[in-house]
Amino acid sequence: MSEQIKHEVIMIGAGPAALTAAIYTTREDIDTLLIEKGVVGGLAAVTDVIDNYPGFAKGVKGLDLADDLRQQAERFGTEIELAEVSELIKEDKLIRLKTTAGEMVADAVLIATGCDYKRTGIPGEEKYYARGVHFCATCDGAFYRDKRLVVIGGGNSAFQESIFLTRYANHIDILVRSQIKASDVLQKEMQPFIDQGKVSVHLGVTPLEIVGDENGVTAVNGTDANGNKVEFKTDGVFEFIGLKPNTSFLRESGVRLNEQGFVITDENLETSIEGVFAAGDVRSGATMQIASASGEGATAALKIREYLEGRLHNSELRQLEVNP
Amino acid sequence: MVKKITIFTSDTCGYCHMVKTYLKAKGMGYEEVNLDRVPERRAEAHRLSGALTVPVTVVTKTDDSQEIIVGYNLAKLAPAVN
Repeated sequence: MSEQIKHEVIMIGAGPAALTAAIYTTREDIDTLLIEKGVVGGLAAVTDVIDNYPGFAKGVKGLDLADDLRQQAERFGTEIELAEVSELIKEDKLIRLKTTAGEMVADAVLIATGCDYKRTGIPGEEKYYARGVHFCATCDGAFYRDKRLVVIGGGNSAFQESIFLTRYANHIDILVRSQIKASDVLQKEMQPFIDQGKVSVHLGVTPLEIVGDENGVTAVNGTDANGNKVEFKTDGVFEFIGLKPNTSFLRESGVRLNEQGFVITDENLETSIEGVFAAGDVRSGATMQIASASGEGATAALKIREYLEGRLHNSELRQLEVNP
Repeated sequence: MVKKITIFTSDTCGYCHMVKTYLKAKGMGYEEVNLDRVPERRAEAHRLSGALTVPVTVVTKTDDSQEIIVGYNLAKLAPAVN
């Protein structure tokens, strides 16, 4: 029988929440493995500049912050496995994970899988994926030097990524289904580009279709606030319409999720399964801020330590499960 | 057997960073073509991949056949380089 890989703590994800938690656990010699299926640093690593993370007076490049967090965690002994978790199973005192790198068990698990961008699902999105429809401005923006772009979305990501894309595009139409939800700070940063005519913001526009030809995307068709048909000629489309939690692997696990699929935790950041914790953007109630994710990571690490030492009190969440 | 690996990247692309991290962890060498520094090769990346994105990883085998991996896709990258 092959030897089973066991760790005291396995953290699923390697974004700011998990990397911060790992700094705390490994500094206390708690054997910790992180499993990441995407980018170490999470969405922070594919964000151009982060202006609101404390300690960086001039802001910090997302990729640099991610790299520094990784190096700091690895300095204390954190291991990062590049793999994907497909299942989480609670077994008596242990938690078993099925992953693309094999099965692993742990005394405690932290779910810190974060979120990915939602997709509109409109016709043409799939057909032109990576050939005119994109979800990562820092990866794909440079292909649109001196071209026209459409950005779909009106939140912080849509505005921040649009500001990044102004480096390349000669004009950007931002299509906002209802009202702008981006912060006042980002709206102020955007204003000069609007004043220069480089960016136009269209409120009340519902995109219905992305159309193109053999060379790629040519337009986005939709309706305006009055239901009239509108067309936006473009060479490419970037979608930033909100976030969805990466929790599909928890479907059969018994971990309680809310209606949107975010993980429900108690005040200890423990889920409905004993020994399984959650932190960061994937957690129900998360504020989707890197600083908050790091803070939750630190909290989760301390609670995990209490759990491993048998000092964590019984979860109210689980008591509710037993006595609904 | 792998003869050569070429990665088309950009300065700001986190997924490009991950491809390089993965190959370094495997002890595999690669040539990096950073399209922010050599934008004239952007069309080559597009022609090879059919996509307007980075990373694009071109794995050339000893028989000179090529495998093109678009994006950071471990399910395709791992078998292509192993």
